[in-house]
Amino acid sequence: MTPIDTAAYRSRWRRYHPAVKGVLCGGLLACALLLPPWPGAALVAVATLAAATAARVPPGLLVRVAAAPLLFVVTSAAPLLVTVGGPETLAWAEGGAARAAEVAARASAAVGTQLLFVLTTPVADLLARLARTRLPTALVEVVALTYQMLMVLLRTAQRVASGQAGRLGYHSRRAGVRSAGALGGVLFVRSLDRARRLQEGLACRGYTGRLTVLVAEQPVRPVELAAAAAPPLLVAALSLAHAALL
Amino acid sequence: MTVHEVLEIGPPHMHIPEGLLPPLHAAAWTAAAAPFVVHGVRSLTREVRANPDTKLLLGAAGAFCFVLSALKIPSATGTSSHPVGVGLGAVLFRPPVMAVLGTITLLFQALLLAHGGLSTLGANAFSLAVVGPWVAYGAFRLVRSLTARSSEGLSLSASVFAAAFSASLGTYTVTSLQLALAHPDPEGGIVGAFVKYATIFSLTQIPIAVIEGLITVAVVRILTSVSRGDLVRLGVLRPSAAPPSGTRTATTTATTAEDREKGSTE
Repeated sequence: MTPIDTAAYRSRWRRYHPAVKGVLCGGLLACALLLPPWPGAALVAVATLAAATAARVPPGLLVRVAAAPLLFVVTSAAPLLVTVGGPETLAWAEGGAARAAEVAARASAAVGTQLLFVLTTPVADLLARLARTRLPTALVEVVALTYQMLMVLLRTAQRVASGQAGRLGYHSRRAGVRSAGALGGVLFVRSLDRARRLQEGLACRGYTGRLTVLVAEQPVRPVELAAAAAPPLLVAALSLAHAALL
Repeated sequence: MTVHEVLEIGPPHMHIPEGLLPPLHAAAWTAAAAPFVVHGVRSLTREVRANPDTKLLLGAAGAFCFVLSALKIPSATGTSSHPVGVGLGAVLFRPPVMAVLGTITLLFQALLLAHGGLSTLGANAFSLAVVGPWVAYGAFRLVRSLTARSSEGLSLSASVFAAAFSASLGTYTVTSLQLALAHPDPEGGIVGAFVKYATIFSLTQIPIAVIEGLITVAVVRILTSVSRGDLVRLGVLRPSAAPPSGTRTATTTATTAEDREKGSTE
């Protein structure tokens, strides 16, 4: 299990239907993308943090998970500070700081809404509902199988990597490249081998091409949907009021 | 380096995060990636219908691609999580299948690792699941035919290195272009912005591409010794009696067909 999936299973909001959380996070994402960054992005960020607090998302995990995407956001916003191709080869861009801040604010707010969703909704809950959509059955089943095999393989990779590290496999860069190659090789062999053994086991039990799992019925309550739609609507209303007043 | 450093939520990768592309751009890139993914899904559906067992192997391949991409590889700046899977996957499973497996991988990366966003899934699929695999496969075939006269081991190593290296560079070029189109330079326009982004990314990406190439060669070398049959079936290795290169996705079918054959003889 990845830290995100573990947190999603432990989340207080696990019991709500994914559609409810989808309305909340999707709505906030739409606000972040479509409204002017000021005050839109700030309001989205406030709403997201409030929701994360209500859902008791571990703050430390939130920071750790957000670090990688935010680093990319900063790297991508930084070039907006400078301009090329003018009279000088490289110069400070006029209004570049404002543009960079806008882009960074919008993207950071959007990343927050994504994290709120993934930290409160286990992937298994989503996959169970994917089968009821109109996507091709074969695709849905391959997606589900990938998810089922992925966790076992991830664990295998962690064990192999820990064994290699224990034998100083990552001591130098040269050894690291060799160990990483060996890890990739062993993962390929084991993933195919596991699929074949799974196939034999399933065939013995009369596999018809369908792996059915029991999905706990979670009704979508209109009250919950309305409550989930409220924060995005409030953010949009405040943002539009701000624009109208100025 | 602890286990958690080898495998976990990692620093730089080439996945555009949520919200970095304007909605119109995100939609346009999704539309650009869609035909490739739809084509891949069609061929996957056809194959699964003809042979239901293929599903398990495709699931295994998808899981393999995900776990590879979650590995942090040693790089110039310590470690970096990076899609080692793109080049290797394209060589092993061919680009049409990779368009589907790559998109599935990206979906799980967004949901399980917060690498890349959901609104930017189409843009990331275009660079990592469409352009990356095709560039890799093109480079693999090209170098394979250029080195047809040299020894099998050398030819394979050189072509696998070329595949992984060019997949990495192709992916980062497309990502730079996507960001440049979204945030053009006030003076230099889209070209200026592309130069800025490409320069920044090349600092980290070129060394990573080299290391990625070396690791992929190491993976394939190990596979040639432990899993030779699979590689011949997947069309990566030249068997003694060479089958036509057009065996494509029949690879997985061949595997299952052989398994059934084995079962019936036992």
